[in-house]
Amino acid sequence: MGVEGIGRGFFLRVLLVGVLGLLVAGCAGAGESGEGEPVRIGVILPYSGVYAQLGEDITDAMELYFEREGNEIAGRPVELITEDTEADPQVGVQAARTLIEREQVDVLAGAVSTAVAYGVIDITRRDNIPFVIANATGNDATRQGARNVFRVSASSWQVSYPMGEYLVEQGVDEIFLSSADYAAGQEMSSGFREGFLEAGGTIVGEVHPPLETSDYSSYLTRIRQADPPGVFSFYAGSDAVRFVQQYREFGIEAQLYGPGYIVDEDTLPAQGEAAIGVRTILHYSPDLDNPENQEFKAAYEEAYDRDPTVYAVQGWDAAWLIGEAIKATDGNTEDRDALIEAMENVEFRSPRGPMELDENHNPIQNIYVREVRQLDDGTIDNVMIDTIERVQDPGE
Amino acid sequence: MVEATKPGEKAGRFPVRAGTLAVLGALGALAVYPFFGTTYMIGVLTEIMILAIFALSLGFLMGYPKLISLGHAAFFGGGAYAAGIVAVRLEAANLFLTLVCALVFATLLAVLIGVLSLRNTGIYFLMITLALAQLVYVVAEQWTWLTGGTDGLVGIPYPELFGFFSFDRFSFYYLVLLLAGGAYFLLRLVTRSPFGHVLLGIGSNERRMRAIGYGTRVYKLAAFVLSGAVAGVAGALWAHYNGIVAPVDVNWPLSATALIMVIVGGAGTLVGPMLGAAVVWFLDTGLSSYTERSTMIMGAVFILFVFFARGGIAGIARSLWERFYARTGT
Amino acid sequence: MISFEALLTHLLNGLAYGLLLFLLAAGLSLIFGMMDVINLSHGSFFMIGGFIGIGLVGVLESFWLALLATVLIVALLGLVVEVALLRPLYYRSHLDQILLTFGLALILEDGAEWIWGTRIQSLRVPEALTGSVEIFGAVVPVYRLAVLAAGVLLGAALWYVLERTRLGSIIRAGVADREMTAALGFNIPVIFAGVFVFGVALAAFAGFMAAPILGVYPGLDFQVLILALIIVVIGGLGSLTGAFWVSLLIGVTQSFGQAYFPAAAAFILYLIMAAVLLLRPEGLFKRRYA
Repeated sequence: MGVEGIGRGFFLRVLLVGVLGLLVAGCAGAGESGEGEPVRIGVILPYSGVYAQLGEDITDAMELYFEREGNEIAGRPVELITEDTEADPQVGVQAARTLIEREQVDVLAGAVSTAVAYGVIDITRRDNIPFVIANATGNDATRQGARNVFRVSASSWQVSYPMGEYLVEQGVDEIFLSSADYAAGQEMSSGFREGFLEAGGTIVGEVHPPLETSDYSSYLTRIRQADPPGVFSFYAGSDAVRFVQQYREFGIEAQLYGPGYIVDEDTLPAQGEAAIGVRTILHYSPDLDNPENQEFKAAYEEAYDRDPTVYAVQGWDAAWLIGEAIKATDGNTEDRDALIEAMENVEFRSPRGPMELDENHNPIQNIYVREVRQLDDGTIDNVMIDTIERVQDPGE
Repeated sequence: MVEATKPGEKAGRFPVRAGTLAVLGALGALAVYPFFGTTYMIGVLTEIMILAIFALSLGFLMGYPKLISLGHAAFFGGGAYAAGIVAVRLEAANLFLTLVCALVFATLLAVLIGVLSLRNTGIYFLMITLALAQLVYVVAEQWTWLTGGTDGLVGIPYPELFGFFSFDRFSFYYLVLLLAGGAYFLLRLVTRSPFGHVLLGIGSNERRMRAIGYGTRVYKLAAFVLSGAVAGVAGALWAHYNGIVAPVDVNWPLSATALIMVIVGGAGTLVGPMLGAAVVWFLDTGLSSYTERSTMIMGAVFILFVFFARGGIAGIARSLWERFYARTGT
Repeated sequence: MISFEALLTHLLNGLAYGLLLFLLAAGLSLIFGMMDVINLSHGSFFMIGGFIGIGLVGVLESFWLALLATVLIVALLGLVVEVALLRPLYYRSHLDQILLTFGLALILEDGAEWIWGTRIQSLRVPEALTGSVEIFGAVVPVYRLAVLAAGVLLGAALWYVLERTRLGSIIRAGVADREMTAALGFNIPVIFAGVFVFGVALAAFAGFMAAPILGVYPGLDFQVLILALIIVVIGGLGSLTGAFWVSLLIGVTQSFGQAYFPAAAAFILYLIMAAVLLLRPEGLFKRRYA
């Protein structure tokens, strides 16, 4: 009996030590904040999966800003702590919780997909932690008016509605509408529909394929049959690559329009010549001729050996918003309300041109009409062809 | 009948007893941990315990009647959505209400899927549970006004009790611990009952059990439903803990993860799958904070398990035990 | 209401897509039928075929040479996997095989992400296969016709080898009764390795051919794996005939379903699988040689 007890005790210990060891290994020390202590900035972005490149671009540009500041804001060193969200609201919420509870970050920034943003807004609001949305476009993220939530990208409305008006002005009054069937796709579609119908256009047909459709041939056949003068589409990531490529493969003549995400710098290398001629609207165009953009492009290219994307610009502005606000509070991040107020008053000098925040903390900014062209050096990129000035989200 | 239970007892006698002790010890350690641990670690343990209940439910199904389901996320996610919808859409976060709704919904779902799928065996059972569970997934993703669609259902609070007690993360931890312990001892009771012996008999030789005169499909259905109900409870806790339910909670990769937890922990025991949940959590979520290549490491560990740890963690424990028993007992 | 041209377009596109799925599923089905191994890393070979193909097209500057080289390289990788990892496991349980091949799939996916990045990449189609043609008024991209042709040819060759040659009869015998075939003096390890390598090569071929249509990125592996599993199971494990007809069925129903009931498109696939397994618990075509 006694002998058996020893064996059993050992066995138990092996198990317990094993399990507890694993758990303790998952734990790391939490930092304290205060004068001279580092400013801890939590970054929640996709670093794996289809949107990983977006996460990379945003992070790189944020680092670029803080490096330019000597990695010190108001006398406090800066620490960027990143967590992978994939493109999944569940993972995103867990990542944000890890950063808030384990790393005790002062500010959160990131969120590529809208679903992640909504989940994170919910948990940051409880603790009044400033949260800077660096990409997600879901309209309600800022329209719900949470005080702690800021956005440096754009709302879905801002990159869809203006195109409806613009196309009618240009004499295009019949459009076939097509977007991926999920929250962001529906917002983009309805934003465009609203602007287009109000301006007097007619929608001649709609198809809404599910997310991650691999073969668009059925949908494209329907578009072909409708034979519209133009098609407005919203897809992102791999969906955008497949849609645009297959669109050309099927030899559809109709001019393709959409929010900038269907032919952005992230998807263009894979889309190649298939993307030439596509016209989109976005709050940035790589060829913008303002000193901030030239300076930013030069610095980014030197640091990372590639051209900045709209995501990089958003990353830069997110870091700018956080950095300048902390300067304004003299490094005090403890008083969250004061920090939020300082963020409301930050003046931007963004590569995208004029930019200020509206009362919901969503940017008022120019929206650029761009066309994909083959440049003189053979590369394929977006070229600005028109500007719609000072576009503000309606707020509700 | 007596013959049918024998193989189980032989294989089960020591590990079940030692396993029970291990579980009691672990429960004790977990019960005192919050007094020393950080908030973050309390959260991590809560998460792991919820996943452990989920893995336990599938482990029961895979270990006793030997039914390998690849659709278990339907019950976990179904329970999570049921609890979330009650809490958010009806604004009633009463613990009993959300838990009972999750339990009832997961049970009904399990009856439905069980009735439809239990005619199939082996890999065909695996695939039909996958197909039926994916139908649940599509509903969760498409029925936007109820489920929030791809954005998920956001804003689920911690539960409360009739207005006089609201759980916070500390008390919620103990709630999860209580239910994890409860689920374990419930299933342990079941596996040791005559009913459990029949299940084990079905697992090792269904044809013989049928020949003896058992209506094996009814037994299998009962086990399937019990397992689904337990998974549903885990799902409800998951919804409260995360504050969000998303389609990913019903999708097949989660079913696959649960399956892997059971295999890594060791199918055929109840403790194994729960430990498997902890290990897989560590490899999956825990490790990703430290290295970008965590997926690769996880894959390599799984392969190492296949070659060097037959029978998973429970298998290692068993062979360790046998080595000691051989050395000291003879 | 629905024109003849539209029907024809959907049909041809569906068939092309279905044949692509068949090439992928055929390997999985053979491996299961012959070796009784559920190969969860099968989709990874498809994905890697695409990645290597894109790289090689750039280097070799020839679509066809790159195709050949890709298939050979991935086949070699398959051989390594078979000898080093799978061979010791032939007589272990399905659970062990699931864990092993799942682990392998994770390593391959993360490795691909490491080497090629997460960005979706695309394969440029050779000039001769770009654009689209009209057949009886239906518009079909040339490249899809090429995929259709390749699928039909490979399918026919596969059928011929399995049904009409000595090698085929050995393989069929192996599927039906492994021990008996071994007892007759056939070298089972060599045959197994051959079947596995061949199945993996088919997957790489399919991955290469699909790259211009689907693009290639980490994550594609599991997306196609689940499709292939569904096809193999509906068709009846180990039945190539089953896999063939079910691939076409799924390709065509997906094509029509997406066009006319887009919201239900996601349902259709799983609904078919559930319905088939309910009515015929062991798939449409029971293993013929069992």
